[in-house]
This record gives sequence, structure tokens and C-alpha cells, in this order.
Amino acid sequence: MKNDLPDRRERAGLSQADLAEAVGVTRQTINAIERDRYDPSLDLAFELAAHFDCRIEDIFTPD
Amino acid sequence: MSVSQTGFTRQTYERTVYAVVGVGIFGLLAGLLLDQQVAGTAVYLVGCWVGGAIAVLAPKFTDATLQDERDNDLHNHASGLTMRIAMLVGISVIPALYVLDAGGYVELTATVWGGVWVASALFLLYGVCFGVVQRRR
Repeated sequence: MKNDLPDRRERAGLSQADLAEAVGVTRQTINAIERDRYDPSLDLAFELAAHFDCRIEDIFTPD
Repeated sequence: MSVSQTGFTRQTYERTVYAVVGVGIFGLLAGLLLDQQVAGTAVYLVGCWVGGAIAVLAPKFTDATLQDERDNDLHNHASGLTMRIAMLVGISVIPALYVLDAGGYVELTATVWGGVWVASALFLLYGVCFGVVQRRR
């Protein structure tokens, strides 16, 4: 899946570590998601969407 | 005070576990080299048990995220890949070894038989674990 997580995170003024701590995962996981090397679980996708106050499909789109 | 408040981060966690287990392995090798096998084995066992205890228990006693879903995903993929390779090699090699040994074409050493038994036990354990996981889902 593609995602616009880096843009959203930077617009929010967050580092990868900040976002990781906010959604309860490691910084390496956020980094892997942003580089399209790891597709998050549905739980984590919901957490991210809730954090940015948007829908999952606003962040993630199929390849 | 939680562990995270003491600064126990993921990096510290990984380094601590690797360091403790590393000391154990170093102790074992040193024991072999210095002809102090019992002492070396003791250091190895302590290192493995303490390292294992930290690896298992630390995530339970901290608010810091030491492991997450990606770690589990990596573990599952690595385990699956390991078993696929072991099964591919095992299934193609072990029956052939049995037949060649039974036919008197080769004589398998005790070491090779040990490997065959270990591989067989691994496949059996995998089958049991697969059945348990399947029943629980």
C-alpha cells in the first residue's frame, strides 16, 4: 500500500519517534511504513487515522 | 517507577539482551580454550537464562514500546522461511539417505544420524505447533 504518512507527519510537526510513541509502536515501524516496506495491521491503521483525525483510506491507498 | 522512566529504551533493551547473551557465549568459548569447561558452561547458562529473562520480562514491566507488531511480523516471516528451507532440504535429502544406507551404498556416520533425528524432531515439533495454532484460531 502507498501512503502519505511522511507528509502528514511533517505537516503536524512530528518526528517519526513522536508519531511512534503516540500510536504505540517503535520508530522503526513508522519508518518502514513510510518507506512502503511494511503494511500496518488494521489496528495500527485505525490508530494512525485516529491520530490524524481522518479515515484510513485518506492515508493509505492500494498500489 | 516503571522501567521506561529509568530510560530503558528499545535500543537499551536490545543492547542489554545481546550483551548478556554475548558474555555467555564468550564465556563458553573461553572455557573451552582455557580447559575450564564447567566454568565456561556455567557462564553460558547464566548468560542465556538472564538474557532470555530480560528479553521476555522487560516488555511486560515497561511502558516503552520494546517490541511491536512489525517485530512479530518479521519473526513470523523468518520462522516460515526457516521451516520452508528446512523442509525442502529435509524432504529431499533424508529419505534418500535412508534408502542409500539401507541399500548399503553409503554408511551414515553417527553425526549424520544425529542430524537426521534433529531434523525429524524439528518437523514433528512444527507439525504439533501448527496443529495447536490452527485449533486456537
